[in-house]
Amino acid sequence: MDSDEEDYVFFGTPIEREEEITSRRKKSQAEASGHLRTLVPWKQEVRDEEGRRRLHGAFTGGFSAGYYNTVGSKEGWTPQTFTSSRKNRAEVKQQNFLNFLDDDERAEYSFCSHSELEGKSLGTSSQFDTFGFTAAEFARKQAEKEQLQRPSAIPGPVPDELVLPATESIGVKLLLKMGWRPGRSIKDSHTDSLYDARREARKALLAFSSDDAKTHLPDSEPVESPHESFLEHPVNDDVQSSQSTPVYVLNPKQDLHGLGFDPFKNAPEFREKKRSRLSDSKEPGYRKTLLIKDSLFGFKSGKAAPGFGIGALEEYDAEDEDVYAPDFNFEDTYVQEDEEPSGPSKDSRKKLLGREQGALPGFIVASKSDYQLERFDPPVVPKDFVPHHRFPGPLEAGSQLLVPPPPEVPPPEDNNLKILIEGVATLVGRCGKLFEDLSREKNQSNPLFSFLDGGKGHDYYARKLWEMQQKHSDQTKLDGKSSPTVQKMTAESRGQLLGERPLERSSRDSSSSIASENVVHLQFNLSDTFTASASSVSCILSVPIILFKLITSLLGIFPEVAKPFKDDPARQERFEQFLKEKYQGGLRTTDSGGATNMSEAARARERLDFEAAAEAIQKGKSGEESLLTTQQFVGFSAAGGLQFTSGGTEQVKDVQAEDLTAKKMYPRREEFQWRPSPILCKRFDLIDPYMGKPPPAPRMRSKVDSLIFMSDSIEPTKSKQSVKNLYSVPQSDAPEVSKGVADKDTEVEVEVENVERPVDLYKAIFSDDSDDEAETVNPNKVEYPEKKIEVANTALNHLIAGDFLESLGKELGLEVPPELPYSTSKARTHAPEKEAADANAGKASILPAEKKPSMSNVVSGTSIDQGVPDQRGAAQEGETLKNESTPGNPFNSGGKYTDTETGLSGYKPGKVNWEKTKENVKSKSPSRRHRNWGSDSSEDERSRKRSRRQRYRSSDSYSDSSGDHRDRHHSRSRRRKKESSREKSSSRRKHHEHSGRDSPSRSRYSTEKEHSEGKKEKKKWRD
Amino acid sequence: MSISDLPRKEATVLKGHEGAVLAARFNGDGNYCLSCGKDRTIRLWNPHRGIHIKTYKSHGREVRDVHVTPDNSKLISCGGDRQLFYWDVSTGRVIRKFRGHDSEVNAVKFNEYASVVVSAGYDRSLRAWDCRSHSTEPIQIIDSFLDSVMSVCLTKTEIIGGSVDGTVRTFDIRIGRELSDNLGQPVNCISLSNDGNCVLASCLDSTLRLLDRSSGELLQEYKGHICKVSMRMPLFWLLTAAHI
Repeated sequence: MDSDEEDYVFFGTPIEREEEITSRRKKSQAEASGHLRTLVPWKQEVRDEEGRRRLHGAFTGGFSAGYYNTVGSKEGWTPQTFTSSRKNRAEVKQQNFLNFLDDDERAEYSFCSHSELEGKSLGTSSQFDTFGFTAAEFARKQAEKEQLQRPSAIPGPVPDELVLPATESIGVKLLLKMGWRPGRSIKDSHTDSLYDARREARKALLAFSSDDAKTHLPDSEPVESPHESFLEHPVNDDVQSSQSTPVYVLNPKQDLHGLGFDPFKNAPEFREKKRSRLSDSKEPGYRKTLLIKDSLFGFKSGKAAPGFGIGALEEYDAEDEDVYAPDFNFEDTYVQEDEEPSGPSKDSRKKLLGREQGALPGFIVASKSDYQLERFDPPVVPKDFVPHHRFPGPLEAGSQLLVPPPPEVPPPEDNNLKILIEGVATLVGRCGKLFEDLSREKNQSNPLFSFLDGGKGHDYYARKLWEMQQKHSDQTKLDGKSSPTVQKMTAESRGQLLGERPLERSSRDSSSSIASENVVHLQFNLSDTFTASASSVSCILSVPIILFKLITSLLGIFPEVAKPFKDDPARQERFEQFLKEKYQGGLRTTDSGGATNMSEAARARERLDFEAAAEAIQKGKSGEESLLTTQQFVGFSAAGGLQFTSGGTEQVKDVQAEDLTAKKMYPRREEFQWRPSPILCKRFDLIDPYMGKPPPAPRMRSKVDSLIFMSDSIEPTKSKQSVKNLYSVPQSDAPEVSKGVADKDTEVEVEVENVERPVDLYKAIFSDDSDDEAETVNPNKVEYPEKKIEVANTALNHLIAGDFLESLGKELGLEVPPELPYSTSKARTHAPEKEAADANAGKASILPAEKKPSMSNVVSGTSIDQGVPDQRGAAQEGETLKNESTPGNPFNSGGKYTDTETGLSGYKPGKVNWEKTKENVKSKSPSRRHRNWGSDSSEDERSRKRSRRQRYRSSDSYSDSSGDHRDRHHSRSRRRKKESSREKSSSRRKHHEHSGRDSPSRSRYSTEKEHSEGKKEKKKWRD
Repeated sequence: MSISDLPRKEATVLKGHEGAVLAARFNGDGNYCLSCGKDRTIRLWNPHRGIHIKTYKSHGREVRDVHVTPDNSKLISCGGDRQLFYWDVSTGRVIRKFRGHDSEVNAVKFNEYASVVVSAGYDRSLRAWDCRSHSTEPIQIIDSFLDSVMSVCLTKTEIIGGSVDGTVRTFDIRIGRELSDNLGQPVNCISLSNDGNCVLASCLDSTLRLLDRSSGELLQEYKGHICKVSMRMPLFWLLTAAHI
């Protein structure tokens, strides 16, 4: 280092960075801590950490100055001369020129200290008061002051005009010096001889330079461009100007243009026009039109190019025309004049006028125009056209109108009959022959209706019908055909003839039963409302409803009219009640007294009957599918019970039906499991029934739990839950089964008595995803942890779950029979379909169609266990079979399986279920109790145990003996499935067969059986 | 009990409420009664002498139900402010407030030991609250009802709730079971018979239904009175129950 340093030659002094920086830093720190803090913030210097003043500014940098780099102060910017008018009012501060010096200048100045400048103050000088305003103001003030001081003859403030400005502005002074006198125009030079002479001289000068001195622009010429005119004036001294300069040119702004905007800038001729119009507008009516031709310059187009000034010495010529301007520029001008109150209509009229008179310069109005509006004649209406729209359908009375009127017949003496006949005639007249046919068909056996087929009162009926038809046709066709003379003029008919609108009556009146005197009136009323709307389409729509209401109203008086249950008056009464409830809405009463003594099953069945009957009636009335429904109707009325064929009644399956079905069953009891919290038990001083049990599983699980115990419900409407239930049950019930199997003891095991409910298929499908996922995956995972294949199959099964559910829904019409308390494994426990399917899948192939086969398989499996034909399969299955097959089960034989052919599992299964349920419930209730009390609590435990056990077993369970058998079933069922395209009738058929063979109740509960079947199968594998 | 034994004339009129009275309850021995109403107050009366004893004000909205402990030391009240107020009878102070209902609380009851309060809410739930601990959280929420729970009754081992969904649900704590008796009509109020074997449910169809609690059977229907929305009439029920 040293040697190196010696080699170098150093110039100057080295910069001692270190010290400098450190010292500066110290300084900055000291300053920061010290006095800087005392400074006001805007006076503090901003320094960086090394003590340097920080430069700031966007690009160039700079130091902070002023008040945060502004000229303001803390109080904001105030001029120095400002004094608050609060403290010292109107005190004028004398300004010194020193005020305008900078500090250094001032210092310099004070250093020099020129005494004569010291005292000089700054102020305004009237010398430069160019316009004299300040002076005038000042003078006025002076005058006022004076006036205040001395009393004057004129009291009050001196008028402004009296007090003239004491001083003249510099401009006036200059003018005066130039020879101007007040009251003269500045331009005025004629009176000035001196000016004259000067002008002459200039003229001569001009003559030399250019011989053109003739430019004599008219006085009133609007200045084309101020610049031009400005130049022009000095040159031409002969500008005419007014004799006296007006003091004020009062030109108030009256238009709505912006300040300084001159709409006539490029079209000066319109200024004139407008002025004239303004003056014209004062005289109403006639208006003189100013022709554009008359405009000043006589331009053909009336336009000068904007932008090119015209020289003072030039004339307008063609070159100056604005060839690019749009043709109808003047219209713009018109548009801009809309500030005028006269309105645009006049303008346009005027414009038109002007144009007609050849307003456009150079254009003449043509004497004749080639253009003609082409007109087409309207199409000729055919002579035979009748301006009336006919509605097709039952309203049309048809050709009967042509039939000569039947003779007038005295009404039958029976008043009731008369009313009935009139009512029916009215209806038929309104609604066509179809109604007659219908009612005839329906009331064939009814003696009251014999008049329809030519019995007593037929003539009267015919006559009435004709009248009605006549009347109807009169009203619909407006051809003025006079109503038959025989017809009495009622108020309504008269009103209709006169075109009056019938009074609005609520159609609800008609639906309530009315005393028989009112019937005729009612029907007229109804028919009137009918005809009122007869020409509208809505009539057609409302026909069925009104008809039905009418029918119901008729029912009140003549129960025979539509009496599907005439064999049983009590029933008929209930039916009417039902109808009333159904169509009147509102809160429903519970079962009326008569129904209370019926069994609930009977009630439910009846409810369904009513529903179907009502449907049939309505359909029959509406005239659709008359044959089919009347058949049905007759069927109902005849049988009373029901065989629902697959006709129109399928559509009945609505929620309401189920609801009504359910309604008959009140009060009903359901049982669920409920888990009180331990602390609640403690507070109630009770022993927790679930003590020692694991706490309820998290949300999903608990949901499952609740669903499990929903399974006890007999409620047919809770279809959704029941579907879930199907899945969930295995978790709780399977343990019992497996336990029974494992221990092989005949421990009295309570079966799950699962009353099956109909499933709303759609709900089931929609809700299936999550539930499926949650519930099927879980058991599989728990129970077959090692079986990956199974899991995979489960996944596959999920894919086809929708399909599966569909078929499931069909199967759900079936119920599982009550359990025998003594047969443990016999329990109709639900094996999850999933499990069954899994089993199948694991066993056989992983066909996507597996699901459905599994179902049928399940059923067939059941039959294996219990039925005769499959005993061989059962034989293979060892002791499970022993447990399971107890054909003599009394409960099983209790129910009767009637699988109706409904394509959809709507209300019918519900109903079917219901009766069975009833029976079952009754017989079963002890066992159910038992189960609920004893077994539910321990189910969780058991299921756990079972799953463990199952795990052990599952390893060897695969090589199963019954595999081939099951496979056979698969294939069979699959084949069958193919046969049945949609309804899976084959599987049902199969059920039928089995049910025929087995205890029927078993097949009824097919779903449960499926479950149990799956369970059994599992057991089989284990064995 | 003959018809002559039925009270037929008005004994006393208790005046003081500045609004509709929503509930009136006797205490355990029948010497006092409590009323609550839309004036947001609970009033304690001596009905036999017609004396207004005390007013309890703290509710923010109408008070829909009130109940008193068997030892007459505490009150529980509920109302439109979704809270239960646990009062000290003598001081008139609120000891605790139970919040948790999602909407109005329709009815409230103490259990036998006054250790638990069960409230029935418009939020379709029954909630049990612990009076002994300082927790203000419900110790049990029963939400199996499908509609507003209008009324609640407690026995030694059971909680019975009547709901607008038409069910009277009995929750047996002893065996962990829920019994749901569907009456098909919205149940406005339920009351137990004195022997505890029956439950009387007043439905919105102007019918009182007497249910056998063990079997769930409908023992009787009473259609005499005409009230579309029948109010709670504890006295009437008592009588009716006694009558049976």
